[in-house]
Formats: sequence, structure tokens, C-alpha cells
Amino acid sequence: MTTDHDTTVIARTVARVVFPIIVVTAIALLLQGHNLPGGGFIAGTLTAAAVGLVYVIYGLDHLEQELLGRPPSVPFTDEAGITREYGSLVTTGLALAAGGGAVAILFGDAFLTQAVWFFEHVPVYGEFEVASALAFDLGVYAVVVGALLTILAVVGAE
Amino acid sequence: MQPTAGIILAVVALPFLGAAAVPLLYRVIGERTAYFAAAVAAACFALIATQFGAEGAISVRWIPALDVSLSLYVDGLALLIGFLASGVGVLIFTYSGGYMHNEPGKPRYYATLLAFMGAMLGIAFAADLIALFVFWELTSVASFILIGHYRDESGQYAARKSMFVTVSGGLFMLIGFLLLHWVALDVASVESAFRLAGEGSMLASADAMQTALREQGLLVPVLLLIGIGAAAKSAQVPLHIWLPDAMEAPTPVSAFLHSATMVKAGVYLVGRMRPLLVTDEWVLLFALLGLVTMTITAMLAVTASDIKELLAYSTASHLGLIVAGYGIASSADAHIGLLGAETGAFHVLNHALFKATLFLVAGIIAHEAGTRAIEELGGLSDDLPLTAGITVVAALGMAGVPPFNGFYSKEFLFDATYELAAHDGGLWWLLPVVAVFGSIFTFLYSIRFLMLFFGEKPEELGHVHEPPWSMRGPPLLLAVGAGIVGLGGITATAGFHLPIEEFVGRIVESSLPAGEEAHFSYHIPTTLSPPVLMSGVTVAVGAVAYPFYDGIRDGLRAVRDLGPLRPNWYYNGATALMDTNEIGPQIHNGLLRTYALWFLGGTSALALAGYVAATVSIPTFSGLTVTIPLGIVLVVAIIGAAAVTGAPSHVAGVLTLSILGFMVAIFYILADAPDLALTQLVIETLVLVIFLLVIDKLPAFYGGSKRWMLVRDGAASLAVGTTVMVTVLLSTARTPGVPSYLDHSLKSFFIERAPPPPEHGSFIIDSGGGHNIVNVILVDFRAFDTLGEISVVAMAALSIVTLIAMQQRGEI
Repeated sequence: MTTDHDTTVIARTVARVVFPIIVVTAIALLLQGHNLPGGGFIAGTLTAAAVGLVYVIYGLDHLEQELLGRPPSVPFTDEAGITREYGSLVTTGLALAAGGGAVAILFGDAFLTQAVWFFEHVPVYGEFEVASALAFDLGVYAVVVGALLTILAVVGAE
Repeated sequence: MQPTAGIILAVVALPFLGAAAVPLLYRVIGERTAYFAAAVAAACFALIATQFGAEGAISVRWIPALDVSLSLYVDGLALLIGFLASGVGVLIFTYSGGYMHNEPGKPRYYATLLAFMGAMLGIAFAADLIALFVFWELTSVASFILIGHYRDESGQYAARKSMFVTVSGGLFMLIGFLLLHWVALDVASVESAFRLAGEGSMLASADAMQTALREQGLLVPVLLLIGIGAAAKSAQVPLHIWLPDAMEAPTPVSAFLHSATMVKAGVYLVGRMRPLLVTDEWVLLFALLGLVTMTITAMLAVTASDIKELLAYSTASHLGLIVAGYGIASSADAHIGLLGAETGAFHVLNHALFKATLFLVAGIIAHEAGTRAIEELGGLSDDLPLTAGITVVAALGMAGVPPFNGFYSKEFLFDATYELAAHDGGLWWLLPVVAVFGSIFTFLYSIRFLMLFFGEKPEELGHVHEPPWSMRGPPLLLAVGAGIVGLGGITATAGFHLPIEEFVGRIVESSLPAGEEAHFSYHIPTTLSPPVLMSGVTVAVGAVAYPFYDGIRDGLRAVRDLGPLRPNWYYNGATALMDTNEIGPQIHNGLLRTYALWFLGGTSALALAGYVAATVSIPTFSGLTVTIPLGIVLVVAIIGAAAVTGAPSHVAGVLTLSILGFMVAIFYILADAPDLALTQLVIETLVLVIFLLVIDKLPAFYGGSKRWMLVRDGAASLAVGTTVMVTVLLSTARTPGVPSYLDHSLKSFFIERAPPPPEHGSFIIDSGGGHNIVNVILVDFRAFDTLGEISVVAMAALSIVTLIAMQQRGEI
């Protein structure tokens, strides 16, 4: 898992090409989720799958070494390891989902009441819809990505 | 005056927000986080002060569909606990700034302490049984973390013990609450069956509730259950054993949680429930419990060899006094009940003032003299003159010597027990006797504590330095408070009444039946009456016995060390039994398959039993036609499932299992559910990856199974399958809570409400506004469920990290 000797050039090239496509697809799924197939959960799992692909093909430390340009951190021994960062992603997501729900209370509605705004005559788009549920969905996305990647990282490091 | 909703909400929310900010703030301002926390506490104190004199309930809708709302209630008792939690909080945080100077784990310490303060304020103002319970358990959790602050062996033992006793006590209380709720459902004048205080609540119709409880035969069970909860929290005999061990916590924590506030939650509950449940059974239970606790723990305090241990037992003893006070009432004579309530209410205040002071003094001694052993201390007044002065006021208050503050509340107790005995006669005469007997020991240990500062100074002690002002100021302020209460009695004798009397009167009224007024007043007695005589006997016998203190102590120690009389005898015996019995290793034997079996089997059994108990009938379903593609998918899925059982290795098994998963995904596509299909596909892939990652860690456990194992596993699989199928059938068939005009159909409700209506403005809130019904269900209609689910996901990640981290550190 942590070695990158036994993956073929084909696999590594395909991973390089496919990774951004998957991530863009995931983001598209996240944003269109309210009206078309998609949503925070699917987008989150897809993103995690993309990073999982990098883990499988290039090894665990590649992400930190090559992409973030810092020495790889063994999980839990380091204060600022990558699992910490995944962990704060989870925290942020939970706070976003719950906090967004709590905003409704300030307006006198029940917890987690969601609203939708429609903007007419937006260039290119015509009618444009913004749902407060998107904030909630973003929270779901962050939690799912953070949690799955944490699991992948620590289980992979084992 | 009605309370202001925003202010009371802010009081409860501020400490939690502060706690959340501590970890970040600590990186910036370091040690000074103590003063930030003190500022938060001061803000809460100021906000509560603006509500002084208010009475009434406020309510914020939380989940109206389930009739859940956050209701808070303000009255005298709530304000008292609120003032104690925030006011003592200010002093404790300031003191911590000096005391915790070189200690580890400060961000955790301050965050937990702040969260504790929020939970305590929540208990004080909660008007709803569920909210009360949640805050109640939160204080137990905070206490657990703080007792285990130093993470050593004894600290862990103490933390576990306190968690075990107080949390399980809380669970008894929860059952009591649920019984109350169940009875309240049938009482017409109770509008919201979880509401404890305020309009349309249980307390507002206490008489009807009491009649209903008696008719259902639930009065005694509810009393006992709530009594256990209160006794566990307030360290009443025989559940007092956790409190002395809790002294493992840093001293400011002991002063805050284990004397001034958290242990007061139990007596607060007794005081709060008093108008609702006060009956003859109530008197029998709480008057006895309180007096027995007061006496036994006062004797244990005399046996103590450590100053914090002495204070811990003494705290339990004084809480016993408060419980006894609240316990005393009489259906025939309202005056006795009034005296009882006055004892409880006044002593909550007095005890917080003198005991928190003494704990802080103990902290100073431990910090500066380097020892807490009573034997090694003495003559400290030369080096610590100010601290000695503080201790004189506080310790004499604790001893009940006039004119210090504890004297007055003890007078009320003596008066109440005497009146009750004079009224009912017979065995009730034991109450005043026990009260005096226990008070003698209180006098003894109080004087012993005071004598740490006088008499001869041991050679080894050396010169003791004065602590910094951040450690001297808080106990000084508290002692001044205690002194003022004491002075109030003198001025009242002269005819000038301090406003404290008005305030305590309001606290007393919280524990009296609705409509009764308390004109509270206290003063130095000027005529000889039975209670005065009782106080006189206490002080005189105490003074005569004090020279023989060491002999008395050794005698009590000898009795204490006799087998079953040892305070921890039953706790250590029970926990040892749990460690050594035969059942444990059967259930958790370290094999994953055993855990899975117990877990799945237990869940299925509970769920199926629930269905049987509710006598549900499995709904019929029709309209299912199997097309050819669908048929092929299902057949392949079944073949895949069957093939898993025969797979020769783990890898092959996992790969075969994924056939099943992908077939389910195709099934979703055929059923026009692209969202589900997408999710299923991605999850299947991820699961495959994770499986392959862990698979080489598993033993090659294939083949060679015995017949009974196969039968057992087959039965378990069947049970799980049945449970899942029945659950799916039942949960998709009926929709509780959907109005009948929607045809009781979940489907049509979602189809109608999810997309934006054809005619709509630029802002809509009452429908989902999205065409993807699945997503709208997840993020809008059922957002609360989703919130729960992502919490579970986060929790799962957390536990995996913890497990693997523990394994790497070699703990498991």
C-alpha cells in the first residue's frame, strides 16, 4: 500500500487523468443535487473514492510528499498530521450542517427548516435557484469526505 | 416580572460557546485563558443579575413536529443555582489562573470547566424534564473528565467510579421522569407532559399530579427513582463513596464541582420536586436519608487523614443536612414544611459560601506547604495570616458556631426536626437526637481543620510562602460573603434586615406548594428555645470532646476498617466480581465473530420483540411485477450471495460479495433510482478497497466449521434477514404523523411537496423547492435524520482512529 513500485505505468497515467474528472464530477453532483441526481452524500463518497485511487496507485505518503510538499506524517504521532486535517473537515461539516439548521431558529422557524430563493433574469442561467439546503449538503459532503478519508488513511497505514 | 427569553438563553449558551473557543484562544493568549473564562462567567453572572426578581417560563420551539421545545424557567431556586454556578465560577477561574500555572492539559481543563458551567446553568434553568436530564448527565461527563485530569492510575479509578455512580443514578432518575411523564399524560391540566415548571406544567398542577400518581400506585416508585438520582449526584449514603475519590481532581475543580455546584444538583432536584411529591413517604425517605448521611459522613470526616478527604466527607454531610431539611414536612402543619424548606434553601447558600472557601484554602495549603496530610500540618497562621483569617470565618460557619453563617441554617434544621417530633411523637424523636449527634462530629472536624492554622508548627514544614493574589482573592471574597450572611443575623436581631432575607425567601418559595409565601427572616436567638438548647449541647459537647479528638478518630477508624463497614466495600466487591466472573469472557472473548453475533442477534431480538409487543401486522404489498431484466439481475444476485458462502479465501469472498452489491446497484437503475444506484456503486467500490486493505490482517479462517456453528450462524443470518425485511415492509407502509388528507401515503406527500409549486414567489419555505425528491428528503424533510447519520459517520471515523491509535500504543 505504501510502496509505489508495484503499480504499472498505465495505472499511474490513468489515475492522473481520471482523478480530476472524478473530482469535477463529484462537485457537479454536489451542486446539481437539488434538482438532478446527486447530492452531498454521493459527491462525498465519490471524492473519497478518487483520493482512495491515489492512495492505491501512488501510496499513502505521495499525497503529502508530492502534492502538499511536506514530510509525510505518520498518523496520530504528529499534532498536525493528515488525519488531523481530515478530522477538522469532519468537525467543520458537522458544524455547518447543524449551524445552518440553527439559523432557521433565529427566524422563528423550526430547527433545520430549509428555504429556497429564486433569482430571475440571471445572465446565462435565466432563472437561478439557491437553496439553503445547499449549506446542509455541503456539511454532509465535508463529513463524508473527512470520515471516509480518515478511515482509508488509518486503515491503510496499518 | 417575566424573564427575558434572550438573556436566559444567552446565559445557558455563552459558556458552551466559550468552551468551543478555548482551544483556539489558548494558542493565542496561553495562560491568560483563565481570565477569559472568568470573563465569560462574569458575563453570565451579570446577565443573571438582570433577571433578579423575575419569575416565569420561556420557551423556544425546537422541533415542533415532535412537540420538542427548549423551555427554561426562572424563579428563586433557579436564580440561586445560577448565581452559584456563575459567581463561584468567576472566582474559580481566577484562582485556576494561579493554581494551574505549571499543570498539564490546560486547554482541555478550561474548555471542560466552561462546558460544565453551562450544563450547571442549564440544570438551574431547565423547565423540561428531558432538558434537565441532558444537562444533568453533561455535568457527570464533565466531572469525569476533570477528575481524571492527571490521567494516573488513581485518577482513572476515581473518574470511572464517579461516572459509574452518578451516571447510573441519572438513569434511575430518567426512568422516574418517564413515569412522571406517563402519569402527566392523563392529567388534564398538564398541557405538555414533559414540562416541569411554568404554565401548564406538572408543578403548576401539583395536587392533580399527586392524586394521579397515587391512583396509579406510582408515587413510591417515582420517589425512589428520583431519590436514587439525587442521592447519587449529591453523594448521599450509601452512594457517597465516589466523592472522596473525586478529590483526585485539581483543587479548583473540587471547590467548584464537588462542593459548590455539581453536587448541589441533587439537592436542587429535591428542592425542585418538593412541591410536586411532598407526602408522608417523602418525609420518611428524605428526612431519614439526609440525617443518616449527615451523621455517617460527619464521622467519616473525622477519620480523614487528608484535608481534601476531610472536606469531601464534610460536603456529603452538609448535603445530607440540606436533603434532610427539604425532606421535613408535615401534611398537618404547614409551618413544619416551611421550616424544612427554609433549612434546605438557606443551607444551599451557606454551604456553598463556606465550603468553596475551605476548598480554596486547602488548595493554598497543598500548593504552598506541599502536603495535604493533616498530621503534617499545623501553626500555619504565622506564615499565612490572611488565609488563617479566612479560615476562621469559614470553618466556624461550618461548625455552626454563632454568629457565623452555618449556625442559622443549622438552627432551622434543629427547629424543623424538633417541631416534627413534637407534632408526630414516637420514633420521630430520633430525628432531633440524630441531628444533634451528627452536628457534634461536624463541630469536631471543623475545629480540627481550623487548628491547621494554630497550635504548634511541625519542624519539617519550613517556611510557607503566601500564594499570589489570584489565589488569595477568591477565597477572601467568598469568606466576606459568608461573613456578611453571618452579620445579617446580628443586624436582624437589632431590627435591620439585609436584602439576603428577601432573596432566600424567594428560594424557599420555590420549594413550597404553589401560592404559599415565605417571609424569611433569621436572627440570633434571644430567648431559650429547644433549638437553641440543641445548638448549645452541640457546641458544648464538641468543645469538651475536642481534646480527645485523636482517640475518637482512632476509634472511628477501627470501626470503619471492619469488613463490610468500609465505605468502598460494596463498590470494590461488585467491580471485582464483574472482572472475575465466568460470563464476561464468554461475551467478549476478543473474536470479532462473537461480537458480531451478540450485536446482530441482540438488535434483531429487540426489534422483533418490539414488533411483537406492538402487535403489528405485516402489510400486504401488491403490484410487483418482475420483468425479464429485473429477473436476471435478481437471479445473478442470489447466485452471487450463494457463492460467497463457498468462497475459498477472503479475497475471493469479498470479490464475490461485491457481485451482490453491483447487482443491487443495477436493480436501482432498473427501478429508476439513479441517486441510489450511484451511491451504491461508489460505496461498493470503497468497501471493496477497505476490505482489501484489512484482509491480510485477518486469519485464514475458512473451512473446518463445526455443524453447530453452521446452524448457529445460519439462524443468526435468518434472524437478521427477517428483521431487516419486516422493518422495511413496516416502515414504508405507514406514515405516522402525515395528515389524513394526504391519503396516509408517504409517496404522495413527498411528490407533492418536494418540487417548487408551479406558481411561486422568489422565496419559498414550505416546500422543498427541488426536483430531486430523494435529495430533498435527505436535506429538508428528513434533515434531522441525516444530521444523525452524519454524526454516526463522524463517530465511526473517530472510533476507528482511536482503536488503531490504541493498538499502536500497545494498549489493546
